[in-house]
Amino acid sequence: MQTFSGLDNYKYGFSKPENYVFKSKKGLDERVVANISWHKNEPDWMRQFRLKSYQIFLNKTLPIWGGDLSHINFQDIFYYIKPTKDKAASWEELPPEIKDTYDRIGMPEAEKKFLAGVSAQYESEVVYKSIQKTLSQKGVVFLDMDSGLREYPELVKKYFGTIIPPGDNKFSALNSAVWSGGSFIYVPKGVRVELPLQAYFRINAANMGQFERTLIIADEGSYVHYVEGCFPAGEQISTGDQWVNIESIKPKDLVADDQGKLRRVKSVMTRPYTGDLIEVTPISAYNKFSLTPEHPVLAIKRREVLVKRKQRKNWQREVNSKILLNVKPKYLPARELEVGDFIIYPKIKTTANDLWSRETMRLLGYYLAEGSAYIHKQLKMHIVSFSLGENETEIIDEVTQLITKTTGKKPMKIWDKKKHGMEIRVYSKELYELCLKTCGKGAATKKLSKEIMEVSDDHVEQLLQTYFLGDGNICKKGSSVMCRAATVSEQLARQLQELLARLGMYASIFIRKGGKDVIAGRVITRKDQFIIVYTKNKRIGEVRESHDYFIVPVKLIRKIPYTGFVFNMEVADTNSYLVRGFAVHNCTAPIYTTDSLHSAVVEIIVKKGARVRYTTIQNWSTNVYNLVTKRMRVEEEGIGEWVDGNLGSKLTMKYPSVYLVGRKARGEVLSIAYAGPGQHQDAGGKAIHLASETTSRITSKSISKGGGRTSYRGLLHVIPSAKNVKSKVVCDALLLDETSRSDTYPTMKIHSQDVQIEHEATVSKIGEEQLFYLQSRGLTKELAEAMIVNGFIEPIVKELPLEYAVEMNRLIELQMEGSVG
Amino acid sequence: MDKTISLTIKNLYVSIEDKTILHGIDLIIKSRELHVVMGPNGSGKSTLTYALMGHPNYKFKDQSSKIKVNNTLINTLAPHERAKLGLMLAFQNPLAVPGVTLGSFLRTAYRELYKNEKIDLISLHRQIQQTAKDLRLDEAFLKRAINDGFSGGEKKKAEMLQLITLKPKFAIFDEIDTGLDVDALKSVANGIELLQKQGTGILLITHYQRILNYLKPTHVHIMKSGKLVKSGGAELVKIVEAKGYADF
Repeated sequence: MQTFSGLDNYKYGFSKPENYVFKSKKGLDERVVANISWHKNEPDWMRQFRLKSYQIFLNKTLPIWGGDLSHINFQDIFYYIKPTKDKAASWEELPPEIKDTYDRIGMPEAEKKFLAGVSAQYESEVVYKSIQKTLSQKGVVFLDMDSGLREYPELVKKYFGTIIPPGDNKFSALNSAVWSGGSFIYVPKGVRVELPLQAYFRINAANMGQFERTLIIADEGSYVHYVEGCFPAGEQISTGDQWVNIESIKPKDLVADDQGKLRRVKSVMTRPYTGDLIEVTPISAYNKFSLTPEHPVLAIKRREVLVKRKQRKNWQREVNSKILLNVKPKYLPARELEVGDFIIYPKIKTTANDLWSRETMRLLGYYLAEGSAYIHKQLKMHIVSFSLGENETEIIDEVTQLITKTTGKKPMKIWDKKKHGMEIRVYSKELYELCLKTCGKGAATKKLSKEIMEVSDDHVEQLLQTYFLGDGNICKKGSSVMCRAATVSEQLARQLQELLARLGMYASIFIRKGGKDVIAGRVITRKDQFIIVYTKNKRIGEVRESHDYFIVPVKLIRKIPYTGFVFNMEVADTNSYLVRGFAVHNCTAPIYTTDSLHSAVVEIIVKKGARVRYTTIQNWSTNVYNLVTKRMRVEEEGIGEWVDGNLGSKLTMKYPSVYLVGRKARGEVLSIAYAGPGQHQDAGGKAIHLASETTSRITSKSISKGGGRTSYRGLLHVIPSAKNVKSKVVCDALLLDETSRSDTYPTMKIHSQDVQIEHEATVSKIGEEQLFYLQSRGLTKELAEAMIVNGFIEPIVKELPLEYAVEMNRLIELQMEGSVG
Repeated sequence: MDKTISLTIKNLYVSIEDKTILHGIDLIIKSRELHVVMGPNGSGKSTLTYALMGHPNYKFKDQSSKIKVNNTLINTLAPHERAKLGLMLAFQNPLAVPGVTLGSFLRTAYRELYKNEKIDLISLHRQIQQTAKDLRLDEAFLKRAINDGFSGGEKKKAEMLQLITLKPKFAIFDEIDTGLDVDALKSVANGIELLQKQGTGILLITHYQRILNYLKPTHVHIMKSGKLVKSGGAELVKIVEAKGYADF
């Protein structure tokens, strides 16, 4: 094991050009457009299509209706960044500059591999593969748009841009010129896809991003429900007892803050992002994390804590520990971080609630390291067994004693002469259940329960002592003692790191990649191993410990080009949270001054007798312009449905349309909009009746609060030759206070006599009387308002898949709490 | 509810938009008592109920005006806080809340009111069903949005259902008897009796003595021009019946 003190060589770290990716310059011109096409290796027709679209974009003016678009600066946007190549499968495949860089900074092989992105497999990939398999058996194509173009060029060429031509509006032209990502779906004749398809299943593919493009073709008699999800893989956030992905955190969950205390999450926000991410690698490469350049990180600048002595050749100037410990860490934008600066790893505060004795904790430590728990099938007996080496006499004795103390039973000792092993086995249902409950079963899935993570420091120490005695090895070197242990459970590795931190030990984790090994002529397949290392008496590198946290130097900073979604959270009180153990602040509004633009195009073809439903719930950050063109072409007896929820964004302009081109075609648009302070939701729907016996229904519900503004904008068009047409438009608006606003802009172009049209529009205020009524039954004003609002949107929410319905209600409740009323 | 508690109204002056409606009401209601307030149109009866429940538009005119539950002054409390202290109002014209079912609303309200108790949702639900049955309100109403498209009688029964379920310490009924047919009137009267038996103190506002055929008031008050001009027992009802309010 090499030491981590090699900060001296870091000056070499960044001299290598990042020439393996392409990043277009800011702003847009013909070359940028051509470059995008070239980098994607697209056929000539697509290149021409993009260039033509760019010209249309230039010639089109911004719409003069709808919301205020004057603040969009088209020259201040990155239009395309080619993401780092698909994750390299092995170290050998990495570009030589990267390998070279890592070699120069003298890192162990395992660490290098991890840093280079040859990282662990995700469980969701397995899910993805099984879904893909089922789909492909039915002949369903479900790809990202770029792959779709590559693999099904004829199909894409036939339909791309036919439903929404580039000339439709300025933003469809922009999207047509610079699109990237999005989904391509083809459902063959008569095939019904029962499971709603979500972009989220496509994790391996290019991310959806700012200018995504989706094309769905449902062939005759087929059915598909597509849910536009935005669940890209985000960073790992500490919730106290474990780490979870930021995208799976919901409002009202608890997360740990910069003081190691648990706080409630107020909201989770998403925005599309194209630009560099800053990847920060501290000591313990496993804990590296990425964030946007403006995201604040709790840090101490190295230059503020230096000793007076001059810099020695090739060494970073040394720091003064005393000053370092006395400086108060400050939040700095990630872009200002440099190698050698310090970031903060808070110790998680717990309740110190000991449910078990010290002896039990020691026994559980051995179980984590060497134990297994199972039920003997023939005997139907619960067994806990410990596999030890025959020479580990001290451990054998202690385990035996501990078992007797905790269970009152005398364990069996089984000696395996050949393997030089000693098994200690006890038949105890109680111990079996305790082990499973607190530590999990099976080596790869071992993890500590919440209750174990909350015991007192003394009890933690007992557990860790026996764990490291069992699984670890200890090297003494002079006065310092280095302990290391290996586990195949990633979760356990992180938890051990946190527990060690509570005892004042900053541990480093790195990964030894799994693979095939040949040991004594036999091939053995190893899983990825997570190696935890810490030293007693001596700190690793320049890590310093204060009462509440560790001060950990940054070893490496990289810029990673990225297109996709980024997340942020609002957390009660301190507004901070821990990313992979390190403290960051929520990304406050004044820090990212630039507004984002999300401009997507969705084209859907519903063939004879087919049915497509497309569901979106967007909850963008309130600095996002969300300008999306969505249209379906519905042929004879086909059904096209849009379910569209707009909660976030600064300005949304979105009017999903159904073009009913065949006899008896049916179209439906359900739209919900919520506008809080500073938000404008200009949404609605369009139904174009181009054939006889066609029916359409548009239902729009909007809510405005705290000065928010909603508009319903709709079009109903019936051509002269269309007979026996039915349509119903209902738009209801709810205002929560005097300062909010709602407008209705319905347009009707009815050129046929044989039509049956209904139009209802209501605007209501949550009256004092209604609130008083509910409050008089014991509901707080906030709860009463939320109840009225949830009741108002209920007709649409009940059309959503369950998890989205739950989410929708939660989001609404939260918006009601969070905004000033 | 075995302990007797009291709702004390003292020197109550109430105005709405600077117009004073109540001119010094004094009234004490104790557990298990049934107070009936009768009076001509515009005498301030509904104002009294709204002021008791804490409607934001009704302002106290006089500093010495007091409403107390036992020794707790509730003058400045919000409606939901008064509800938590045990006050509840059955509305004359309850409003519809589209999309919120009566059943889920009742469960939410129950949970809010009895936060510290362990609630068995299934038995609560059964109890609500039984109460609806007793009131001859079809169970289907529990799955309908509150008061949305309910007839006058159905609204009154739904109010009654809510009060019986939520078990207030003091129940205020604002003309619960108007627009009810004989059968509905009986069910509602039964409901009030049930509450009274359980220990609830009751304030019943009415125009007509009709409902009093089924109830035995412990106290009757005559209200005129924002004042209680006469208080007594059930005999007052007979006088009103025979001669109207002119003599008071």
